[in-house]
Amino acid sequence: MTVPILRQGKHLIASVQASLSDREMDAFKSRLLAEARRVNASGAVIDVSVLDVLDSFGTRMLGELVIALRLCGTRGIIVGIQPEVAFAMVMLGMHGQQFETALDLDAGLAMLAHEVTLR
Amino acid sequence: MNEIISRSKLRADPGENAPHNVLAWFDLTDTDTQQAAQLGPISGQVAEEIINRFYDHILRFDSAARQFSSDKQIERVKAAQKRYFIELIAGRIDDVYIAERRRIGRIHEAAGITPTLYIGSYAYYLHQLGLSICEKMADDPETAFKLYLSLQKIAHFDMALALETYVEAREAKIETQQREMSELSTPVLKLREGLILIPVVGELDESRAHTLTVALLAGIRDTRARVVVLDITGVSFVDSAVANHLIQTVLAARLMGAKSVMTGVSPAVAQSLVRLGVSVGGLYTAGDLESGIREAEKTLGL
Repeated sequence: MTVPILRQGKHLIASVQASLSDREMDAFKSRLLAEARRVNASGAVIDVSVLDVLDSFGTRMLGELVIALRLCGTRGIIVGIQPEVAFAMVMLGMHGQQFETALDLDAGLAMLAHEVTLR
Repeated sequence: MNEIISRSKLRADPGENAPHNVLAWFDLTDTDTQQAAQLGPISGQVAEEIINRFYDHILRFDSAARQFSSDKQIERVKAAQKRYFIELIAGRIDDVYIAERRRIGRIHEAAGITPTLYIGSYAYYLHQLGLSICEKMADDPETAFKLYLSLQKIAHFDMALALETYVEAREAKIETQQREMSELSTPVLKLREGLILIPVVGELDESRAHTLTVALLAGIRDTRARVVVLDITGVSFVDSAVANHLIQTVLAARLMGAKSVMTGVSPAVAQSLVRLGVSVGGLYTAGDLESGIREAEKTLGL
């Protein structure tokens, strides 16, 4: 399952459509980074609202992806983590401290547009 | 959602009330059921007599008579009673038997028959049964006595099953009320676009903390909140499990993209939180509700 990556002005929007296998996750990471580099994106929103579970591997990958994006000069934001997923992640000790989050795509794009930070 | 959150809770061990354990507890063995079955040939006659005497007895009391609206209903209950008696002496105690006895217990409970009334009626019934057996088996008192003892065991087993359903019904009721109460006590108030307030008043126990988590996270999603003010002025004490739960809730809210501001943290609660080693980013606090809301509005850029 390929994750569509859309361009919206200076930002990229990646919408994860189904739960990704470890390999697919890895491929997605590389593609998004390459795309961010290519278009010199200032921000990237990764929408995971469809996912009903995010395991430790997935969380770590997202964390790494966001850090790597930052190194490329792109601010990455994870959006759409569902209540159940959020609580399960915290229960498993994954606090996602390493990445910024927003409620949904709209809020994520607004954060990028206004340079609003959560912390 | 609740499933995830309560997954870690321990469930009561069902083994204690498993049928075979209960049977062992009552020392009910095959011998007893065989004994009871000896009554088979005369059971029809005995049943008729006892049931008639039984109803003559209980219908003398207003509280019992009130349960019956017509003679037709009494006839129907008598027929059911006869079936009950035949099952009692048939002595086949299996899952079907237990389920049936529990069903009867539930009917009694729903009809408002108190345990006193229930046990009293059963005692009278057993008494009459004893008399009948003595009479019918006058030539062999020893067998009659043993038979009666076995029947008594089965009857007590029946009573226990029925009373268990009483307790269960009450417990279910209490649980429902508790749930309603805890839902009532965690309102999610939308103060303005992107800002919700959750005031918590009273003791926070673990189940209430669960409800709070569900309400808070669902509130964020439903109102598209970016900031949550959690006012715990009304909470005087939290144990470490609940404190931990609060922190987890705040972290989960952050994963959803909402910042939490906790206000009204009392010294005792603060100490509980510190003891947990709380120094998590993402947990903002403010002295009182007013400054909490100011802080929240600042975050919203107001």
